[in-house]
Amino acid sequence: MTRWGMVIDLDRCTGCAACEVACKSENNIATVSPEQADLGRTFSWMKVMAQVNGDFPDTTMRFMPRPCMQCDNPPCVKVCPVSATYLGEEGIVGQIYARCIGCRYCANACPYTVKYFNWYAPEWPETARHALNPDVSVRPKGVIEKCTFCHHRLQRAKEEARSDGRELQEEDFQPACAEVCPTTAIVFGDLDNPRHRVHELKQDPRAMRLMEELGTEPKVYYLTPRA
Amino acid sequence: MTQSRREFLWSAGAVGAAWALVRNGGVQWSASEANEPEWMPGTEARTNSTCLLCPSRCGIRGRVVDGNLVQIAGNPLHPMSQGGLCPRGIAGVQMLYHPNRLTTPLVRDGARGAGHWKAITPEGAVALLGQRLQALRASGRPEALAVLAGYCAGSMEDVWRRFMQAYGSPNYIADDYNDGTDVVMDLMHGIPRRPAYDLEHAGLVLSFGTPLFEAWWSPLQAYVAFGGPGHSRGEGRSQRLGPRFVQIDTRFSRTAARAHEWVGITPGTYGTLALGIAYVLIKEQLIDVTFIAEHVDGFEDWRDKGGDLQEGFRSLVLRHYRSEEVSAVTGVSVERIVSLAKSMAEHRPAVAVFGAEVLADSGGLFAGLAVQSLNVLMGNINRVGGLLFSDRAPVEPLVTASLDQPARAGLDVRPVAATTAPFGGGDPALKLAQAVAGEGGTSPVDVLLMYYANPLASSTHPEVWSKALSHVPFVVSFSPFLDESARHADLILPDLLPYERWQDAPAPSSYPFPVWGIAQPLVEPRGGKKSGMATGDALLALAQRIGGTVAKSLPYTSMEELLKSRARGLYASGRGMVLGSAFERGHSRQMEERGWWLPQYPEFDSFWSDLVDNGGWADLFHDVTDPARLALTPSGRIQLMPVRLRDALAAEGKGRTLYQSTKSATTTAGTQFPLRLIPYRVSTLASGTLALEPWLAEQPTVFPDTHWVPWVELSPKTAQQMGLHDGVAVWVISSRGRYRARLKVFPGAAPQNVNAPYGLAYPDGESANPLHLLDEAAEPLTSVSAWYSTFVRLERA
Amino acid sequence: MRSDIAAKLASLPPDEQVLLRPLVVTTSRFYIAAAILGGILLWGLFAYYLQVHKGLGGTGLNRPEYWGIYIIDFVFFIGISHAGTLISAILRVSKAEWRRSITRSAEFITVLVLGFGAIQPIIDLGRPDRLFNVIFHAHLRSPLLWDVTSIGLYFTASTIYLYIPMIPDLAIIRDSGIKATWFYTFLAIGYQDTPTQRARLERIIGVLAIVVIPIAISVHTIIGWIFAMTLRPMWHSTIFGPYFVMGAIFSGIAAILIAMVVLRRAYGLENYFKPIHFDYMGRLLLLFSLLWFYFTFAEYLTAFYGAEPAEMRTFWAKLTGPFAVPFWAMVLGCFVIPLGLMSQKSMRTPRGTLIASIAVVIGMWLERYNIVVPTSVNPRWDMESLGHYFPSWVELSILAGTFAGFILLYMIATKFFPIVSIWEMKEGREQSVHEVAVRVAGYLPEPLVASARSE
Repeated sequence: MTRWGMVIDLDRCTGCAACEVACKSENNIATVSPEQADLGRTFSWMKVMAQVNGDFPDTTMRFMPRPCMQCDNPPCVKVCPVSATYLGEEGIVGQIYARCIGCRYCANACPYTVKYFNWYAPEWPETARHALNPDVSVRPKGVIEKCTFCHHRLQRAKEEARSDGRELQEEDFQPACAEVCPTTAIVFGDLDNPRHRVHELKQDPRAMRLMEELGTEPKVYYLTPRA
Repeated sequence: MTQSRREFLWSAGAVGAAWALVRNGGVQWSASEANEPEWMPGTEARTNSTCLLCPSRCGIRGRVVDGNLVQIAGNPLHPMSQGGLCPRGIAGVQMLYHPNRLTTPLVRDGARGAGHWKAITPEGAVALLGQRLQALRASGRPEALAVLAGYCAGSMEDVWRRFMQAYGSPNYIADDYNDGTDVVMDLMHGIPRRPAYDLEHAGLVLSFGTPLFEAWWSPLQAYVAFGGPGHSRGEGRSQRLGPRFVQIDTRFSRTAARAHEWVGITPGTYGTLALGIAYVLIKEQLIDVTFIAEHVDGFEDWRDKGGDLQEGFRSLVLRHYRSEEVSAVTGVSVERIVSLAKSMAEHRPAVAVFGAEVLADSGGLFAGLAVQSLNVLMGNINRVGGLLFSDRAPVEPLVTASLDQPARAGLDVRPVAATTAPFGGGDPALKLAQAVAGEGGTSPVDVLLMYYANPLASSTHPEVWSKALSHVPFVVSFSPFLDESARHADLILPDLLPYERWQDAPAPSSYPFPVWGIAQPLVEPRGGKKSGMATGDALLALAQRIGGTVAKSLPYTSMEELLKSRARGLYASGRGMVLGSAFERGHSRQMEERGWWLPQYPEFDSFWSDLVDNGGWADLFHDVTDPARLALTPSGRIQLMPVRLRDALAAEGKGRTLYQSTKSATTTAGTQFPLRLIPYRVSTLASGTLALEPWLAEQPTVFPDTHWVPWVELSPKTAQQMGLHDGVAVWVISSRGRYRARLKVFPGAAPQNVNAPYGLAYPDGESANPLHLLDEAAEPLTSVSAWYSTFVRLERA
Repeated sequence: MRSDIAAKLASLPPDEQVLLRPLVVTTSRFYIAAAILGGILLWGLFAYYLQVHKGLGGTGLNRPEYWGIYIIDFVFFIGISHAGTLISAILRVSKAEWRRSITRSAEFITVLVLGFGAIQPIIDLGRPDRLFNVIFHAHLRSPLLWDVTSIGLYFTASTIYLYIPMIPDLAIIRDSGIKATWFYTFLAIGYQDTPTQRARLERIIGVLAIVVIPIAISVHTIIGWIFAMTLRPMWHSTIFGPYFVMGAIFSGIAAILIAMVVLRRAYGLENYFKPIHFDYMGRLLLLFSLLWFYFTFAEYLTAFYGAEPAEMRTFWAKLTGPFAVPFWAMVLGCFVIPLGLMSQKSMRTPRGTLIASIAVVIGMWLERYNIVVPTSVNPRWDMESLGHYFPSWVELSILAGTFAGFILLYMIATKFFPIVSIWEMKEGREQSVHEVAVRVAGYLPEPLVASARSE
């Protein structure tokens, strides 16, 4: 069984936010106005969380890139009244934008706060629309969106592999964030496939998942910092 | 309940249809739109190129769908960036399709700076500028042409310099990132070039305030080294990390946050700390004695020609830089100083990295020498994992310049921005502005060309520049955006964006190996083929237009042709490789280490075509046995106590001595300006263009959490004392001026400092530039302005 | 008032005269109040139009503060709706005779406020145009769908429960001919108050009163579950079902009391809402304020004692943090004031109960606020930044519009339907006094003298 998952090595994350911007470019995520940003309405399907502890000069910081955890037991899917968010066959939690009624129950149910709501319809300057990725639909106002592990890339990779008459390889399907990470902190693949790096990495003694105690069974693993 | 695939496609299709409307019903690419009658398959290509948005010059791979650049990712074949990319590079699509992007040349229509423009063709613009330059040359004043050029290493710099030379003007003025390390290298090694660092193979990277992960020559080089070989794409599963990173910094930067260890330090004391570390290294006998004996002068005491005993580096350090004293000055504990020295010895090769943060300060030159002395003491020069002097890519030189009489005469005239500082080039851009602004009558500059230079925004003295621009009779900007300075131009001949033009892209000075990346057009110019012209092509056309020896000195029809001719040098060099996979890179390197090199291409054209396809050329072999890469001083040895500097100090007659600590504990509490201003670049060296990429303007950094609005950072304690809380608007006020910013209370700020990011602007364009507040202090020996000696106060706005 | 109608009214029995008078006599104060409320309602509608047009961006909501005023109002109004049906059903089933003058006004509150409560989640939707997806794509595992079901059922049941016991009164109005006879003829569905009809009616009411109780309990339990089923700190709690039901009844009682005081003044119903009613209702209020304290204390103590970090962030945010003001205001309104006032007999008067009830209504609204907002802005994950919430003018306008709409509709209802049940008063006078005497006698042991004699 294919179960797509991610391993993020926190020892390698530098908080550069390349993953965030690559995600925004890949998934047609618009910026919001300064006023909206101040209200807390920015979008970042992949977000590098940063936590500072201690005062100068004994300051320390934790970086943690946070995509959707793509739970095997997703709390968001259970509560959606219209099945607009669902668990796909290969473990990717999908969103049906055309069905979502915008009740934001899933957003409240998600303990990882990965769901984003379109308070307004997204906007681009006319010229900037040229840079929109035609593989990804632009969301209308009033619906929830979130990281999909670049699911559209999987569909294409499968079609390409099929037309080439070969099996899908690990490098055929990489989400934008993993593809661009300068320190290769983000590793992506099939957790159940022994030939994929994530299969081994998820068994690393440093591997942990966020809020494992909640039983959500996330498919994003973190390799905790050594020092 | 799950949802069927059909439903998913339907949902995508519904939105896709809406998206088709706004794109004028053009050809669409989307698998889900197959049911629409006018649907036809689109074209899609992924092409390698090089990012030109900052000096790092990383390899990129553009995804072009139906003529639109929809994504920029990394080029895995590039040896430095290895498929990674920074947010600036990725967001380049937003610059390309920015609504305010200029797509045609503009000529002023009305008063200067009034904002009225008339669009003209590129040919018309070249003709207009050509006429002006012809007339200037005819009047016998070719030296009155000046170009202010931002960072443009590679053929663009060569073309500019050639153009100016053939035209007859010595006034090519660089307005790029001058970190002053070339002066240090010149003094110690006799090699006036910025050093490279082999971070990838280092055991320890000891950075003195260098923002390796933020705004270094190449953040990607630092990232790749930091990540180490582990988890690399499609290869082994090693989890080995890169070198140990230790960051010494005046603020808790992102580099400091991510380094394996960080050391907070009092501003202006990097040199003192370096010598404090040297003290421990010498005391504990952790230095490379053999290397010093073989290659270094000035370590031990010596007798000069007159027979007087001169104090060597060892005695000087042991006498003046005892740990307790260093600790008191730097604010770094004695234990920390000792442990830093010990970890340098433990994690060999340990390389000390430094730059403008050390040198752009009064006393900065001594501090730079002090930091470099650590590399020398550790014998870590021209070694794997150490500090190197890298080669340039062996491209073919431009055709020989031919100079006519006016050109020779013009070149003999003293340059307008000639420096008066004993060492280094000083701040030539400011010199130029002062020279132009100062003259009462005619300006020494008749035509000023601004190429990737926006002095009104980036200079420490915008008011001088403002006056200077008003004195110059004809100002030309090549900026693709109507920036502050371009607004005061008479003619704007906007360059095409890096995704629309040909350009070569040598790796930055910090990278130890020669890389010749190539940027090629991924998409057509936004306004159409005819509407815009790349500056390189414009210069070549201008040379032809001026004709004579100028045309003869630049006999190329286009930049593409010029670059192709230069690549012949690479083809013939008998070294290096067209960019290839990690396996190919390793193979090529191992071969060269063993003295082998195999030609891959039977003839040049296939070499060129592969070079363009793969994104460039590189040679990953560095010859560590070449003594010319250690020192080119008269003695051939590294001078720990540089002779020229000692002479200059003696001539100065102020009683200053080498490595003299200029730091005295100054307290500013209770004064009018109690806080020290620490300006810093927030994202890459080209931080000034941040606003052109809304994704970055919305979130310039992952901390502090802030959007769109310029901010300054203050420690929680200081903020509390001043009664200011997070998020309030404040005025940052120095004796020279003030600007408005949002206060971010940040525990990583030192209590006596205000950290002020540089390169931000308000969405409405209001400037917020900490450099405009700098006092007039400068490093006396290099006349580089001091960034870290200005004091400010904050007031609620 | 037209003279013929006045004559008709005058010819009616005294109870009917007083209770039907508001149907035909309308003061100018009524019109002024209606006009003001109508204006506020229109303003609220305008705000909602803007919200639909531009998106939910006009609210103060954000990430992670996804739910605000609308959801607070939803819980609050549905809570108030427990006033009528549940309380009246419980009183009916338990044969509390003092209920007779109260039930009708209470049941009206239920039906009207339920509608206003039920539209709140729809106002809150990002895509109200896709509302019917909850039917087309119903996902039965979602508590929101359970909620749609139970509210729908409750609305139906409580409407019937309001209507059926009103039929004899509708027949009285029809027969009196004081107002739109055709309307009341239609509504009275041929009821002639024959003994058979009366018996059938009583049986139906008896069954309904029992059926409606579990439905009402389910409604607010499920609303509690909407929160409790998520893994959010201070939401994920088993007590939420009963806690919400108790709170609902509490706020319902307070709402009835306020309605009683106002109706008493406006329509001169002193004779019907007597001090004894306020005394009894005040006692109920006292009981529920103690219950409220018990539940709240249990809820917070459990969180505090367990001391899970994620829970504690929300816990302290409420007790001492940014939500300390609404939290302690809630304790004041739901516990301190009602306890202080209602424990004294001298305060269980119309005036005393009014003060206590207003405190309770405000306190219970704040309780909903303290449940929805602090948890929303304190995400479970400590690396997520804290949210903030300040309702926008759109939300506040819709809030005001909702309140105005409810009061207006209630006022209008009193113009068409007797707000005190006429036939039940009559029945009380004619039958219950005797019945109760017999019943009470039945509770008691047989007289000793008599038993001795029988031996």
